[in-house]
Amino acid sequence: MTANGALAAGELTSRSPRELAWRRFKKNKVGIAALCTSLFFVSAAVFAPVVAWLVNVNPNERDTAALTARGETIGRFGGMSWNHPLGVEPGIGYDILARLIYGARISFLVAAIATLASISIGLLIGLLSGYFRGRTDSVLGRFTDFLLAFPAFFMIIALSAPMIARIEKSGLARDNSARVLYLILVLALFGWPYFSRIMRSQVLSLRERDFVLASRALGASHARIIFKELLPNLWTPVIVYLSLALPGYLAAEAVYSYLGIGVQPPAATWGLLISDSIKYIISEPTYFVIPSLSLILVVLSFNLLGDAVRDALDPKSENT
Amino acid sequence: MLSYISRRLGVTLLILLGVSFTVYVIFAFLPFDPAALTCGKNCNDPGIIEANRHRLGYDLPFFTQYWNFIKGLFVGSSYGMGAALINCPAPSLGYSFREHACVSSIIGEALPVTLSLALGALVLWLVVGIGLGVLAARYKGKIVDSASTVFVLIGTSLPTFLTGLMLLVFVVIKWRWLPFPAGNYTPFLEDPYEWAQILFLPWVTLAFAYAALYTRFVRSAVIETSNEDYIRTARAKGLPEGTILGKHTLRSALAPIVTMAGLDFAGLLGGAILTESVFNLPGLGRLAIGSVIEYDLPIIVATTLLAAAIVVLMNLVVDIAYAFIDPRVRIA
Amino acid sequence: MANLKGKNSRIVAAVAVIALLVGGFVLRPGSGASEGGTITYLTHSEAWTHADPNRNYTGQHIAWFGSYMHRTLTAYARAEGSAGSAVVADLATDTGRASNENKTWEFTLRDGVTFEDGSAITCEDVKYGVSRTFATDVITDGPTYAISMLDIPSAEDGSSVYKGPYATTANDTAAYDKAVTCSEDNKTITFNLKRSVGDFNYTVTYLSFSPVPKAKDTGDQYDLSPVSTGPYKIESYKAKDQMVLVRNENWSAKSDPLRKAYPDKIVVRFGLAEEVRDQLILTDSDKNSMSLDGILPTNLPTVFDDNGDPQKDFAERALNVYDPYVRYSAFNVKKVPCLEIRRAVYFAKDAAGLLQLSGGAAFGGDPADGAIKPLMGLDYKKVTGLEDFKPAGNAAAAKALMAKAKTTCPAEYARATDAKRGLVFDTADSETNKKGAAIWIDSMMKNAGIVMKFNFIEPGAYYTVVLDATKQSDISAGGWAPDWANASTVIPELFTKEGGFPMSQNWDDAAYAPFKKKVEAALAESDRTKQGQMWAELNQYVVDQMWIVPGIFSKTQEMWGSGLGGVFFWEPQGAPSFGDIFIK
Repeated sequence: MTANGALAAGELTSRSPRELAWRRFKKNKVGIAALCTSLFFVSAAVFAPVVAWLVNVNPNERDTAALTARGETIGRFGGMSWNHPLGVEPGIGYDILARLIYGARISFLVAAIATLASISIGLLIGLLSGYFRGRTDSVLGRFTDFLLAFPAFFMIIALSAPMIARIEKSGLARDNSARVLYLILVLALFGWPYFSRIMRSQVLSLRERDFVLASRALGASHARIIFKELLPNLWTPVIVYLSLALPGYLAAEAVYSYLGIGVQPPAATWGLLISDSIKYIISEPTYFVIPSLSLILVVLSFNLLGDAVRDALDPKSENT
Repeated sequence: MLSYISRRLGVTLLILLGVSFTVYVIFAFLPFDPAALTCGKNCNDPGIIEANRHRLGYDLPFFTQYWNFIKGLFVGSSYGMGAALINCPAPSLGYSFREHACVSSIIGEALPVTLSLALGALVLWLVVGIGLGVLAARYKGKIVDSASTVFVLIGTSLPTFLTGLMLLVFVVIKWRWLPFPAGNYTPFLEDPYEWAQILFLPWVTLAFAYAALYTRFVRSAVIETSNEDYIRTARAKGLPEGTILGKHTLRSALAPIVTMAGLDFAGLLGGAILTESVFNLPGLGRLAIGSVIEYDLPIIVATTLLAAAIVVLMNLVVDIAYAFIDPRVRIA
Repeated sequence: MANLKGKNSRIVAAVAVIALLVGGFVLRPGSGASEGGTITYLTHSEAWTHADPNRNYTGQHIAWFGSYMHRTLTAYARAEGSAGSAVVADLATDTGRASNENKTWEFTLRDGVTFEDGSAITCEDVKYGVSRTFATDVITDGPTYAISMLDIPSAEDGSSVYKGPYATTANDTAAYDKAVTCSEDNKTITFNLKRSVGDFNYTVTYLSFSPVPKAKDTGDQYDLSPVSTGPYKIESYKAKDQMVLVRNENWSAKSDPLRKAYPDKIVVRFGLAEEVRDQLILTDSDKNSMSLDGILPTNLPTVFDDNGDPQKDFAERALNVYDPYVRYSAFNVKKVPCLEIRRAVYFAKDAAGLLQLSGGAAFGGDPADGAIKPLMGLDYKKVTGLEDFKPAGNAAAAKALMAKAKTTCPAEYARATDAKRGLVFDTADSETNKKGAAIWIDSMMKNAGIVMKFNFIEPGAYYTVVLDATKQSDISAGGWAPDWANASTVIPELFTKEGGFPMSQNWDDAAYAPFKKKVEAALAESDRTKQGQMWAELNQYVVDQMWIVPGIFSKTQEMWGSGLGGVFFWEPQGAPSFGDIFIK
């Protein structure tokens, strides 16, 4: 303020909700840390070949010199050395760092696409259900209930072998690509009902708000109302859900790989690394600790990031 | 009220029928030949696969197989002939040649194990979740609150199978803080102490993740309600904080907690697959996984249906309970 | 198979008697053998694959159930080393009397042999037990020697006209009654075979020829409660939980010179997590227990040193021995007719890398040089022509062979080196096999330029696929143990069209006709030593043609608690002789 109390030029600027949210987010130290960690992991995964080239490791190269004739790792901490910053896999001699970052690629790919797919479908169904109500809502609601009744986890496992065989037969994809495709499809298939329910209740309350009623009174078409009035206000739950679903799907991918229905060796994912490391857990605990810790860290940082984003966008909720 | 219940019941039955039919369709049209999986090493002998296919009814048209299955649920079914005749009384879910027993009795044996696991975990996570959540809300900003936040973070980030694995490998095997389990499962009536000893780590594993979720939920629910006007009135009136918490705040949060707990519990009954696998408990989850690996079709179908039925029925129970509480729901 | 005539059958009988005497010597309770106590067996499996004697095939099951519960007409002597491969009389009075050019075999049951309820075992009971094998849709997984050997005609579709004791329609029971007959006093059983089988007395050591009382037969569910003829009977058996055996009061050592009954009780604990199972033995938490499974690779260093010998703490508690198996990869010779390519695959293989996966040569075994293992003795001679073999693969030799293949079989060379086609390898779907596959693919490409792809098959369906000529790929993983100590159960089974396990599909190969003639000559040869030499030559022939890629002469490890004694490796079954284990 200037001396006489008037506002100086440029001081009073209205800030858009997005700017306000960003400022709030910046103040949240934990959120920033989570953002950095998450970005770190994502870029390590995306730029895996670059990282591998820099550190000079290869996910498919067996370093038999790093193992004894019995297949045990030489040296402490599972064979950590300059050649192998995170050690080698016992029995076969793959570099763990390389397999970790290349494995992250697959995990992130599956999680990202599954999240986007289930959000898109859930958004569509939830919108239609909540906006049109009546018959549309009943039919879609029954269908959603029907899908929700299926024990998803178990069905995914039970159907994996025949469904993957079908995908391969149809020529769409082979081997690991087929398995990745299967996982994405089923995760999205069983994932969208939850999101559509959330969207539906949001839309139900939004459509009674003044600005929507006003739009309708003015004679706006359904499409216009949906795109111009409803969607922009649905961003918040979408982004929040996105940031919370991603770690969920990451962990799910790890579980399915651990159970053996995800990607198969010699490709690597974190779930596979964990399940393989169990066999050696007493004699080579490092091999178990590394992928487990990574998984926990990634899920943790995305969870924290999600919380921080939600706080920034909607400060009235939860942790006030 | 009655019409609402009967309407919901009707819909539930339809959903169950739909689920069973879908499951049957999916498993009927497979690239695998189920008969070929029934003859072990002798499948290169001529005629054996055909004989098995015929006897197990895999050569019947699809709808006949499905109809036989539904019929079996009400009147039982039989397989084989002569001295090898096997009768499975109603409700018959088929016969498993791998386990040499009727599927319904196999499930009957596995159910108490999963039930014990789920119930114990439920009690544990409710006690911890509600208790910690209330404490954290009451002493917001203090150490208890921070500790609970850490607990929530870790609990929601650790996948269950990792928790179970780490507990088993480090607590039991490496560090020997707990003794090896005496068996795979001891029924409660036989030896309550051994029953609890065997189930202790699995309970902790399962409860850990849920307790974290419930702590977070209860904490935020209590905080939100605390800011309501009627609570402020109660405080202004001079009621002690404990009474406020117990009588007013918690009661409003209880309804959604009960719903969540009911649905979570139902989900667990479908088979806490990972926990049972890690700790080798002979429950429904282990049964389900084993049936997939060995491709034991009757058990796969039966466990899928059972899990779906439990969830659907629980939904029905919850819906009806809500209809009692909130009359508006009946019109929807 | 040996075609025994008069003089020779007397020699066999003499050998059998000597074996019996020697066996008796060895079997006399040694120092420290004492009765009483409970022995506990630990396993990761959820239940026995089969407790029904007619459905038992694996050596371990036969060793275990044969020690405690199921007797057969004849059995192997319970002795260490090669003495254990001798056949001695069990339920029968002798090791069988052959006539009619070994097409008719007669066995007479001893006096005083009973089931666990005290009822006498009669010829009808043995006949009934054998008949169950024919109900192939109910009694699955057991060896089908009865079906292939008994003189019963086949129907059009190849199956037998006799369908077993349960089928009431389209079942020629008269044909079975003709093939297996009982004497009037119901104590002598006669088998009429459709061809000459000189060692049928070895065949009946299989539990699939055990007696079963018809009144107690429950078909598929007999697997849960079989009736015992041995020193112990089932008190309780619950899958995923445990099985408890207690003494069979109706068994007497008088009628059973083969078996001991040391412990009072036997318990089998099922469904243990692998790490828990290993730790229970490693920590000796129950001194009187033994693991029925192998040892996890992570625990091998605790039990054995680098040479594969037991560490000090495990001196009397662990075994590291050769099992009866030879692991190999069979070429589908119809699909890979080019000899040079087959040989190139052998030399390009990274045997050391594959062994590293199973803990190295000390535990995994040695690189094999053929289909016959050295411990077959008479039948084994070191195979020549493989001097270029190097444990990590010999790139120079492999590449030279491939260069030759380019000119002699250009079409196949093109396929094998084509990135889109290559050679396809069938193997069972498991994590270890997937890792092994990576090693194969790697070494084939690096050392020979061959593109290798893998076809992972669901374990339950594996044999259905690879034994079907239309479904088998170019190479298939296999393993085989001789059914008894004669390579007649190896070479003809694996490499002739009539054999039980002919994965090589080699009968259209140019080299097959002379091979087949030599096999027939060996089968007919009655001089065992000469026969052994002939088998060794045939083994050389197989490797010269590289119809299989010899893999590993595999090993197995066992460990047990410090309270148990009398454990030795019973070679014919590839498992410990469980009945001789006692509590010290």
